[in-house]
Amino acid sequence: MILYLLTLLLLLLVAPILMSFMKALKMWLLFKRPVSLLQGYRDFSKLLAKETLISHEASLVTRTAPFLVLSPLLVALLFLPPAAKGAYYVSFVDAFTLTGLIALSAFFLMLLGLDGASSFGGMGSSREAFIAALVEPAMVLTIFSVSLMAGDLGVGQAGVNLAHHFPKAHMASYLFAAISFFILLIAENGRIPVDNPETHLELTMVHEAMILDITGVYLAIVETAASVKFVIFASLFASLFMPFGLDLPAPAALGVFVLKLFLVAAAVALVEVNTAKLRLFKVPNLLGIAIVFAFLSLITFYVLGA
Amino acid sequence: MFVFDTLSLVFVFLILLGAVPNLFYSFGYLPHIERKAHYLVHYFAFILSMLGVVTAGNALLFLLFWELMSLTSWQLILTEAKEKSTIDAARFYFFMTHFGFVFLLLFFLIVTDGDLEAGFGAMHSVAHAFAYPTLLFFFLILGFLSKAGAVPLHVWLPYAHPAAPSPVSALMSGVMLKVAIYGMFRFLFDVLYPWPMEWGVLILVIGALSSLIGVLYALSEHDIKALLANHSIENIGIILIGFGMGMIFDALQLPLLAGFAFIAALFHTFNHMSFKSLLFMGAGSVLHETHTKNIEKYGGLMKTMPVTALTFLLASVSISALPPTNGFLSEWMIFQSMLGSHAIDNMSLKLAIPFAVFALALTGGLAIACFVKAYGITFLGLHRSANARHAKEVNAAMRTGMLLMAGVVVSLMLFAPAFISLFDRALTGLGHASVYKAIFPEGVWHMHSVGVHGGVVSPVILLAALLLITALLWFGYRALGVKERLHRTWACGYRTGARTQYSATGFAGPIRRFFNWLYRPEEHFVKETLAGHATKFDRSSYDVHVKPLFERSLYAGAAALANRISYWVYRLAHFEQTRYAAMIFNLMLLVLFSYRIFAHQFSWATFALESAVMIISIKVLIIGDKS
Repeated sequence: MILYLLTLLLLLLVAPILMSFMKALKMWLLFKRPVSLLQGYRDFSKLLAKETLISHEASLVTRTAPFLVLSPLLVALLFLPPAAKGAYYVSFVDAFTLTGLIALSAFFLMLLGLDGASSFGGMGSSREAFIAALVEPAMVLTIFSVSLMAGDLGVGQAGVNLAHHFPKAHMASYLFAAISFFILLIAENGRIPVDNPETHLELTMVHEAMILDITGVYLAIVETAASVKFVIFASLFASLFMPFGLDLPAPAALGVFVLKLFLVAAAVALVEVNTAKLRLFKVPNLLGIAIVFAFLSLITFYVLGA
Repeated sequence: MFVFDTLSLVFVFLILLGAVPNLFYSFGYLPHIERKAHYLVHYFAFILSMLGVVTAGNALLFLLFWELMSLTSWQLILTEAKEKSTIDAARFYFFMTHFGFVFLLLFFLIVTDGDLEAGFGAMHSVAHAFAYPTLLFFFLILGFLSKAGAVPLHVWLPYAHPAAPSPVSALMSGVMLKVAIYGMFRFLFDVLYPWPMEWGVLILVIGALSSLIGVLYALSEHDIKALLANHSIENIGIILIGFGMGMIFDALQLPLLAGFAFIAALFHTFNHMSFKSLLFMGAGSVLHETHTKNIEKYGGLMKTMPVTALTFLLASVSISALPPTNGFLSEWMIFQSMLGSHAIDNMSLKLAIPFAVFALALTGGLAIACFVKAYGITFLGLHRSANARHAKEVNAAMRTGMLLMAGVVVSLMLFAPAFISLFDRALTGLGHASVYKAIFPEGVWHMHSVGVHGGVVSPVILLAALLLITALLWFGYRALGVKERLHRTWACGYRTGARTQYSATGFAGPIRRFFNWLYRPEEHFVKETLAGHATKFDRSSYDVHVKPLFERSLYAGAAALANRISYWVYRLAHFEQTRYAAMIFNLMLLVLFSYRIFAHQFSWATFALESAVMIISIKVLIIGDKS
């Protein structure tokens, strides 16, 4: 139980650092002076000290949606696979519920975008809805395939199973599922080929457009939600597709786990540096690749058993 | 005469759950209806006839109540027949419902063997003696699914539901479609029971198509009630996916998975009744206050209509299948039953089911987009028209109706185990093994899948966790003592106005563009440019209208074909009189040959021979050498 709480705390603490790490790595690769890893915390504390500006045009939704954007993600955080052997994990929530919770958070974020009566908010929500709708099938199919290999649909149990029985026999479908999940990770978190998290050029942005009118503590909450979402995806990727290191002694296991998170973040940063942002109507092609890989993964599992 | 087994009682319960809040709502709505007596008579007759359908114990009563249900709902659509479009919609509904009725009649004429007062048990033996069970199955699904609104017989829904008064649309979409589902359930189990796997596959395909097509056309719709009607098509599709999976599992001798899938279908039937009724009531309240069905004319209604807005939000979250609502639970069950497909031995079927998973998941994603659009454009932002500015909350009776229905939605979520046990008993009543114990092996908190490596979900714990964490966050925010200031929305320094907001057309824009090959929209773009500058204009308007593809191809095509045939019949009627004898002779030949083909053993050789004889005699005797 203590280990479980420790993991939760660790994930929460590491979330802003991961975001700053990706930014810093990108800047370093572009020969700029990197930002500090603690930038996330600085922004957070700065935003907490500010007053919140609420738009005249907004309704009850602006006041409640930030909480409802964050809370499903925090609940999802409780249900992640364990990071160390013997850690308690919640076994009664499966992968569908996890995707549902993430969708619930996105639902309120989209409403938040529409609430301010600003055309940018609407634009962001509309694009987010478009991308999220196409992410959903790939996500479900990938889950389907991974659950077959892990022998359980529950994410916690699946992580443990994979760590103990690495699916050597099903390497092909396992890899296809991993590729599909990595694309989904990028798409769901609004990283570069899909959305540019750093730009504030209205015509290109998705996530930032929705929260253009959010300030102060509310902005801090929504930004935290974004980093928590990344941590959820990164740790799912780490537990499901890099399932090793669970048997080490607890401190080492946690260390390896965090290292894996940084590895995922570094991979995302490398992809970001090396690609340009896609046009909105090219994004379905990328997600189409994710869907195709998810299907391939299932088909190779069924037909070849590989 | 009447049956009161558990399946009937489950559906009686469904009708009552749908009708009681509707009565309150209807009572609040009544002052705005001109022909009150006409409305009330048909309204109560409608509810009673639905109760009659689900309890009828023989074919005659069933058909009587079924027809009564169709006719009263048809009259209810005509309650406020001021516009031509309403009359057209009613005529279309009348035609479609009787199109289905013909097939039901054929079905019953065959399975009752002439004795229309025979019970369902007697029909079972007749149906099994009949040589072409698949024909019976097709009659059955044509009859019931045209009422339920499954593709391709769904085209009447987006016309009929918006035309009816709002309480009636809630009742038609929420309850009447479910009565059709009852009919399918009842007769597939009681009359046609051991079914081949292919029937299940057909139902699965129809369900997957309905769900995708329903949600895609809902997205492109600006009329709020037509949008909801299209979502009914989607949800009927989801129910049929569950039902089809159940039929497939049953045919493959996997009773546990079959029971699970049937329960999922029944659960979704209840859930759709609850949230769709609530959504139609909410839409009715908005329509009642703003006097328009066009979403683009709403906006900002959350501030003035809080009860409507919050209940609509609850229903939107539920219909989008987001956890931990009831809509999520039933969709979760349907997903789980599809994941159970890896227990199937048949490889081609095993490979095909992921495509249904794909369809259902895409439907879920698009439904979220659609309800963000419907909710955001209707209730959030600034008022988009003068009508929306003058809207106020509806009267107490209508509010009570909506709140009661919201209570039904919430109780379906909280008391899911109780409902599932009810559905389980309905299935055991039909001779199915009980699966309740397998779904809840360790108490009512955790809902398990019955598949081999299935998942678990615990709605109540999830809800509690969500509420607790939200409350903690909120208290944290309060504890910080943050200062709040009101200010205009920042829009790059321009004034925020109602006209610069995102519109529903714009919101669905990317998705509509992606599915352009399906929509093939008619776009109207008017721009008044200033002094010949292409980029400077003071007024522009963009309007896009999507006409359903099925209607254009299938129905308009059928109408054109009927025209052509009638032209040939007309030409035949003007032959010389000597040929009438030849025509009568040919008709008799046709009847006799058809009788032979249908009533006796079918063989391709005799079929080919008889066709050749027919064609030669038509060519020689009727058409002759003239063209």
